[in-house]
Amino acid sequence: MLRIDIAERHNWKDLAHELGFHFHTIDGEPYWKEDAYYQFTLEQVERDIEAPTEALHEMCMELVDRVCNSNALMQRLALPEFMWDSIHDSWKAGQPHLYGRMDFAYSGDGPAKLLELNYDTPTSLYEAGFFQWVWLEQAIQQGLLPRHADQYNSIQERMINAMAHVGRGLEDATLHFSCVKDNTEERATVHYLQDMAVQAGLKAPFIFMEDIGYQPGGDYFVDLDNQPIRALFKLYPWEEMADDAFGERIPLMQTHWFEPPWKAVLSNKGILPLLWEHFEGHPSLLPAFFETSNSEPMAPGWVRKPFFSREGSNIELITDAGEREAVGGPYTDSPWIRQAYQPMPRFGDRHALIGSWVVGDRACGMGVREDVGRITKDTSCFVPHAIV
Amino acid sequence: MPSTEPSAHLPRRKRSARLSLAMMGVGAFGLSACSPPQSEEHVTDVSFDNPESYQSVEDCVAAEIYTRSACETAYEASLESVPRFSSLEECEAEHGEGACVAPTAEQSQVATGSSTGSWFMPAMMGYMVGSMMSNTNRGRAFERVYQEPVYRNRQNQGNWNTASNQATQRVTQRNEAMRSSIVRQATQRSGFGSRSSARGGWGS
Repeated sequence: MLRIDIAERHNWKDLAHELGFHFHTIDGEPYWKEDAYYQFTLEQVERDIEAPTEALHEMCMELVDRVCNSNALMQRLALPEFMWDSIHDSWKAGQPHLYGRMDFAYSGDGPAKLLELNYDTPTSLYEAGFFQWVWLEQAIQQGLLPRHADQYNSIQERMINAMAHVGRGLEDATLHFSCVKDNTEERATVHYLQDMAVQAGLKAPFIFMEDIGYQPGGDYFVDLDNQPIRALFKLYPWEEMADDAFGERIPLMQTHWFEPPWKAVLSNKGILPLLWEHFEGHPSLLPAFFETSNSEPMAPGWVRKPFFSREGSNIELITDAGEREAVGGPYTDSPWIRQAYQPMPRFGDRHALIGSWVVGDRACGMGVREDVGRITKDTSCFVPHAIV
Repeated sequence: MPSTEPSAHLPRRKRSARLSLAMMGVGAFGLSACSPPQSEEHVTDVSFDNPESYQSVEDCVAAEIYTRSACETAYEASLESVPRFSSLEECEAEHGEGACVAPTAEQSQVATGSSTGSWFMPAMMGYMVGSMMSNTNRGRAFERVYQEPVYRNRQNQGNWNTASNQATQRVTQRNEAMRSSIVRQATQRSGFGSRSSARGGWGS
């Protein structure tokens, strides 16, 4: 694994605008960067990223099954009790999911280590699945990369397949798409998901989360025309849905959700200690424990994370050498876990994080994010990768 | 040049051969990976044409979208790409207990050309059929059908028909008692997303 300087495509910003990638620069700071790329060997990708991702995915599915059959485990993960039946039933009924992303610390030698799962609202999908792919093709065409260069990336192709499969079970082949208002990046990501749904032969109308309607006595949540929403993709997390005013209505409605309720089990950092309990010593897992009121103050070599943090918020770590790093945020109202600190590889002053994608039940691609800090945040840059 | 070569015979490549956008940006965007050197045809735009998943060739034919031969070709291709194991234990080690089966004589014949093979494979939930419509520099042409198993056979996971039926039954039963006593009221909104302003983005 190397970080290699490379010339930018001269027209990439124009292209980005033409292709709906308006968030390549966020608040004046670059988000997409292509003045360098991460170079991997095929063996590194297949042996150290792809294979562990598939193995971990299977372990996660096994744990979902255990949690869904145990109220005690549901409780331990702080899942709200009124959602337990929905979570259990959606799993038992086999409601299909679409996708997830695992974040890994990986240095190019030895197995990738799982830092966390993003199995409910993973983002950086457009960058990883589409724009990164276009970058590789054009970089080859422009002679910036050799013709044999490749990329670990069939994310979009597999998403289209998964959506086509899902579409078979949807009435009128219609899947609504949703995210909250006033967030350019999330709206663009959902736009991309709609695009793939259309390519999979679905109808893909959009509604903002805030505009979703509820009619007392109705069978479905409704759109702005009061028509039933039979199936809805939400780029909005289960723990927030459950907390919202309509949360307790969810189990009463027939609306199908993507991701399905059982994904709430995996979008919770409490899953990390459970993984360690059940698969202790697996080479891709880091030791992890639930924090309790009796827990010692955090020692060097450990990380503290809330169950429901996103974008790196409220994470605190102490390196083996005793350096402390922390990101603030609003996620102070859920339990915490502790995870052994695993340094990410450092290239100059940047730390690189691997995001490894699962679509359906297959590992199918990756994206690399980098940050000067040790904690990856929403401002961390996306840098493309190539297999050379 | 329509390609008839099954994907298993193409050089191992970790990226998709082609991607396109249907609606983002100005019109559709499509780009294909650099073609193999022996091909003179340059593919300029490809879109997947309504791919569907089916449980069997008969289901596929019954849907009246594809010809029987397209359904059979895709079924054969999907069987050829199913991983094969020499023992049930090896297969289960990879795919989970109870997730593997011995092929039927017909499946074995399709996959290996011999109906008597002693091997095991993960049970197939269904297979994908779709056609890739290509714009090439010699005009528009159909390319090969493609397929891809999407979900593993894990209990009912991915078995969407079961999922829909069970959920509908469950909720219908639960709501039946309620409904008779409720007068339809005005639609309520703003019941989701209330904490967005407090916390900003959700992407993770």
